[in-house]
Amino acid sequence: MSAPLLSVTGAVKRFGGVQALRGVDFDLKAGEIHALLGENGAGKSTLMNLLSGVYTPDEGEIHIDGKPVTFNNPREAQAAGIATIFQELDLVPSLDVAANLFLGRELMRPGGMLDVPAMRREAKRRLEAIELAIDPARLVADLSIGQRQVVAIVKALSYASRVLIMDEPTAALTVGEVERLFEIMRKLAASGVGIIYISHRLEEVPEIADRVTVMRDGRVAGITEPHAPQAELVRLLVGRPLDELYPERARSAGKALLSLRDASFRLVRESAGWQPPTGVSLEVREGEIVGLAGIMGAGRTELLSALYGTGLAGRWQGEVAVDGKPVRLDSINAARKAGIAFVTDDRRGSGLMLRMAVGLNLVMSVIRRISPAGLMSPRRQAEAVTRSFGQFDIRPKNPDIAVGALSGGNQQKVVLAKEILGNPRLLLLDEPTRGVDVGAKGEIYARLRALAAQGLGILVASSEMPELIGLCDRIVVLRQGRNVAEFNGGVDEHTVLAAANGREA
Amino acid sequence: MSDQRIEGTANSVPSGTAAPRHRVDPLAIVVRFQSLIGLVLVAIGGVIFSPRRHGEILFLNPDNIANIVRAVSETGIIAIGMTFVIITAGIDLSVGAVLGLSAVVTATMMISGGFGLIPTILAVLVMGIVFGVVQGTISTRFRLEPFIVTLAGLQAARGLALIVSGNQYINISYGDGPGLAPPVFAVLGERLFDNTVPVATIVFIIFAAIATLVLNTTRFGRYVYAVGGNERAARISGVPVSMVKISVYAITGFASALAGIVHAGQFNFGSANDGMGYELTAIAAVVIGGTSLFGGAGSMVGTVAGTIMLGALANILQLNNITPATQLLATAAIIVLAAVLQSLVRRREGLGR
Repeated sequence: MSAPLLSVTGAVKRFGGVQALRGVDFDLKAGEIHALLGENGAGKSTLMNLLSGVYTPDEGEIHIDGKPVTFNNPREAQAAGIATIFQELDLVPSLDVAANLFLGRELMRPGGMLDVPAMRREAKRRLEAIELAIDPARLVADLSIGQRQVVAIVKALSYASRVLIMDEPTAALTVGEVERLFEIMRKLAASGVGIIYISHRLEEVPEIADRVTVMRDGRVAGITEPHAPQAELVRLLVGRPLDELYPERARSAGKALLSLRDASFRLVRESAGWQPPTGVSLEVREGEIVGLAGIMGAGRTELLSALYGTGLAGRWQGEVAVDGKPVRLDSINAARKAGIAFVTDDRRGSGLMLRMAVGLNLVMSVIRRISPAGLMSPRRQAEAVTRSFGQFDIRPKNPDIAVGALSGGNQQKVVLAKEILGNPRLLLLDEPTRGVDVGAKGEIYARLRALAAQGLGILVASSEMPELIGLCDRIVVLRQGRNVAEFNGGVDEHTVLAAANGREA
Repeated sequence: MSDQRIEGTANSVPSGTAAPRHRVDPLAIVVRFQSLIGLVLVAIGGVIFSPRRHGEILFLNPDNIANIVRAVSETGIIAIGMTFVIITAGIDLSVGAVLGLSAVVTATMMISGGFGLIPTILAVLVMGIVFGVVQGTISTRFRLEPFIVTLAGLQAARGLALIVSGNQYINISYGDGPGLAPPVFAVLGERLFDNTVPVATIVFIIFAAIATLVLNTTRFGRYVYAVGGNERAARISGVPVSMVKISVYAITGFASALAGIVHAGQFNFGSANDGMGYELTAIAAVVIGGTSLFGGAGSMVGTVAGTIMLGALANILQLNNITPATQLLATAAIIVLAAVLQSLVRRREGLGR
């Protein structure tokens, strides 16, 4: 048997007192797509950083084609043929595609002038090599996230071409973009590139991976077939069988909290890519979790943000009622007065004050309540913080550290806990578990269900179909801003997808 | 991915929440109190390098100390206002010009206008607030960078000051009757408590105390941190973001007007060129005090210590007859050092550059 393209043996890495890797063996064959799974803190990032030359291992060896190698910096790893695409793409939005592909390696004319035509020609050739029709003269800022991802891949492959490491490449992509990305990955693998694919989305694994390595607590918990049952993957990930990722559904729902009847959001100015709610009829009752399904651009986020008054300027037409009484939901204030709270899909961008302490973030939506006569009450603040820590298992249990230092799952718990402190009656959630590991997902689902049992109504938009099906009592499917179908929870995925795409099931 | 996020303390954030098993980054402590530590170091340096006369350390001479704290009182008042603005991730470049305008208006109202002391002071303070409200409103209403709006505000205030003063020094003479200012106004240039503590310094300290309370104990203060910490998150949490922003520019406007009144009282004249460059001194004091230009973090005590530290540094250099050129270079080094320390802490917190 010939040596694998890349192998790691007995890798150990310590950070101060923390042992991030405790003896990891890993290998990658040429032409293989190898999925690397693990919860936050399992050690996948550390492993990835060893391979891309960001860290050097304390113990253990890295081999390429059976020969030992050491990387002292990312450049040496690239020289050995290892390209890494980090989650935050290293593209400059204000430069065009060709300039990005050649950044730091610009082609020059004699005399020190940039040879822009040559770079554009070469960029076009490289993009077409993976059959991607992007004009190299377009600004990266004007590309979709999916197109940017592909540009990042082309860029990475231009200086290292044997091993491609991809960190959650699909996290921000639409369903269609994921499909296209997978095609490109398969094509690259067929040409002999070995791909390490890191993801949180278990459902993607059987579709794309040839082999799966699951990490836990700095060790390899198991290596399995991609078609292993999801329950098996979850067991490896969290170290215990997780029979119930999703909690039991509610038995009964109360009276209507939010009801929309033929409700449309009339924009002051139309905006491309912003699909306003158009003739929507739906209801969320007390104690009920209602899901919003739909393809990207169907108007899920737009419906939530229009209800909360954070969308584009415009006003509601048709019937919008809370508690059976018509309300004008035209501002954040109006929504909050009506007892509505909103958790956006972008916790770092619009959910949290990252540099500020966890405790300060938690009380952000109840500042008014804990500052009688305008003076902050330390006692009331401490009470609120204690209550949040009791409701959500936020780790570490320290309200004074900066929230930006927490893991994604714990940050998401902070955002949720913050809104729950305000005692809303209706909670709007957009992608509530994006970038959250499986264990924290289960905790969040259980918490949401418990809150619903106390009478909270929840309207949740998600692009993760299993999440909607597992969590929600009812699922409303949106297409082009309109509700086109409604299913009970537990419906099968294909039925919902068919409705979302406008096909017969 | 966040496998190796490092625990640390938020920089200069008031905590007020219980802290079980708190692990503290020593560097974060240094940064949190960097201006106080700097002030102590400068004071020690002052004692060591101070010239002596008949064995007396001139740096510690009560007159010299009174001079230091008097000299920094105007920029200090402005820096206190500026701290609010910078915590919201804003900036106010108009402060020095508003000081000049306020000094001119103060002198003109009392001398040519024949207004009494109280009406003059109230009018000038209101003018400062209005100036700030206008800048804040333009900035929030049209979503303009405060840098641009207050740069325009700087030009506007200087222009107005030139119009009001007719490009002349407006001298303030004291006495009863038309064309004279009430003698009590001259107290701003004097010292109280057995001729030890300058009145200008007392104004500075009282203003600092009130501002510290407002920033640390009121709902408004918390909103200021929130807006700078993440404006979108603050808006979604129901914080009245535009109101908060307009308010902080009203505070700098008020502070600049107050400093302008103190200026007129100390020097007995108003000139359109008063307060030239004060905006940069104030910003320097705020940054040295540990407040982040990125917003969301900062402290009022730090600003006060930073202000006094810069004054003490200038004083010790002057006492040793070191040129103003060297003073500027020393200030530059301290600003860079303060910023580097903050950057190191941010990186330790795992929050990027």
